[in-house]
Amino acid sequence: MANTIQKPAPIFPPRAAPLASLTVTMAVMCYLASLAIGALILINHAVDNWTHGLSREVTVQLRHISDVDPAVQLQQSMQVLSSTAGILKAEPLDRKASLSLLEPWLGKITGEDLPIPQLIRVTLDEAAPPDFVALEKALNTAAKGVSLDTHQRWETELTRAASLLSNLGCGVLALIILASVMLVIFAARAVLEANRQVVGVLELIGAKNSFIARLNDWQFLKTGILAGCVGAVVALLTFYALSATGDSFSQVGQALVFAPQGIQFINLAAFVAVPVVATLLAVVTSRLTLSHMLGQSR
Amino acid sequence: MIELNAVALRYGQGSDVLKDVSFKMEAGDFRFLTGASGAGKSTLLRLLFLALRPSRGQALIFGEDVSNISTRQLPLIRRKLGVVFQDFRLVGHLSVFDNVALPLRVAGQRPADYQRDVIDLLDWVGLKQKAKELPETLSGGEKQRVAIARAVVSKPEILLADEPTGNVDPAMAKRLLHLFLELNRLGTTVLLATHDEQLIAQTKGKVLRLQNGIVKDL
Repeated sequence: MANTIQKPAPIFPPRAAPLASLTVTMAVMCYLASLAIGALILINHAVDNWTHGLSREVTVQLRHISDVDPAVQLQQSMQVLSSTAGILKAEPLDRKASLSLLEPWLGKITGEDLPIPQLIRVTLDEAAPPDFVALEKALNTAAKGVSLDTHQRWETELTRAASLLSNLGCGVLALIILASVMLVIFAARAVLEANRQVVGVLELIGAKNSFIARLNDWQFLKTGILAGCVGAVVALLTFYALSATGDSFSQVGQALVFAPQGIQFINLAAFVAVPVVATLLAVVTSRLTLSHMLGQSR
Repeated sequence: MIELNAVALRYGQGSDVLKDVSFKMEAGDFRFLTGASGAGKSTLLRLLFLALRPSRGQALIFGEDVSNISTRQLPLIRRKLGVVFQDFRLVGHLSVFDNVALPLRVAGQRPADYQRDVIDLLDWVGLKQKAKELPETLSGGEKQRVAIARAVVSKPEILLADEPTGNVDPAMAKRLLHLFLELNRLGTTVLLATHDEQLIAQTKGKVLRLQNGIVKDL
């Protein structure tokens, strides 16, 4: 014994507090947090895709007017569109394509007598889009019954809905973090209660509160890392599993796990943040709780 | 070092356990604190190791008024005190070695720095062979010796001992008394609570006799 340096035993017995239960419940919290993060990522990506598609195109609508020849109306509108800077392509939709757009609302339409407007799909140069006010004015001057739909209303609605969902996701994440903090506080109290006798001895031989509070850092560090890793990995596996189901959920999973490389890296970074945050939360909360309680007990 | 002036102490709303305690100990003094069971010896020691504060009067330790010591100062003052508790207060899951080394770990020393000192001390109290054992495997006398070793390992300026020879045989009691005297010779102020008159008779230490909550400095 005299020749070898003895590694001192932990001052608090490692199994004296219910940290195994904390690890399991924290892992569940981390899993839920990872799911919420995945949902937030998907919402943001979906909104980006939708708004990108909507802002890249506008629609010109030609209503039926009794004294106007639809062919002339179309020709005049196409002339304006082709001569306007910032428009890459103008493509009139045939009647079949226009009817298919109405299908979600009106169902399958077979009659030929339904007066539906002629639509022109206009692809814009995103780097230098045209002045929409001037374009609409030019179209109205060239032909009667022509209007320009810039999809602004849809874009606003989508952005609003996405913002609502994002806020909801952030709220869920905040609740999960709050619940995790409460769990760690409860566990830290249990640790102190389980080691009350040892703490009493330490206080009487001159241990500072910071020394006693530090004694559990390693336990809470391990808890945070383990719970965070398990939660994040199981959540990723869930998204992989969803991507393989083949039903409507598969697209959700695929969008997340088989995203382009750059996006995938950001997605993974968000999941890696889960164990990091869980560990910080466990160590900092336990340290503050123990310091506070020890300060009260002196 | 220690100065008590008309100190009284009561627990909660009860009657005074200590009524009028006045005495003074200078650096290097050696005193016995004696009195009948229940006279308040342990209470007086608890007051001196800052677990209690006086209800009335003034108690000074290292020149600091006990009533005014802040929680921040408390650990630093306690590190200058060595205490042997009557109920030992050993940490059950730590070995004899780790129990004795505990004050040094608390003070920030590393195992390489204190290992030699702890082993030497265990050798002196006759427990070197039991260094790796847990307290539950020790006899009452052995636990007492571990508690004493823990109290003196950090070479405290004041040593307070509550019945330190209560659980050991006369030979070991004599040996432990010599340890206390040796520490006192090296400069440690020692206050030893005991009702063992034979032990008191073996030294020339002064006696503080606690009777009816009053200390008469003999």
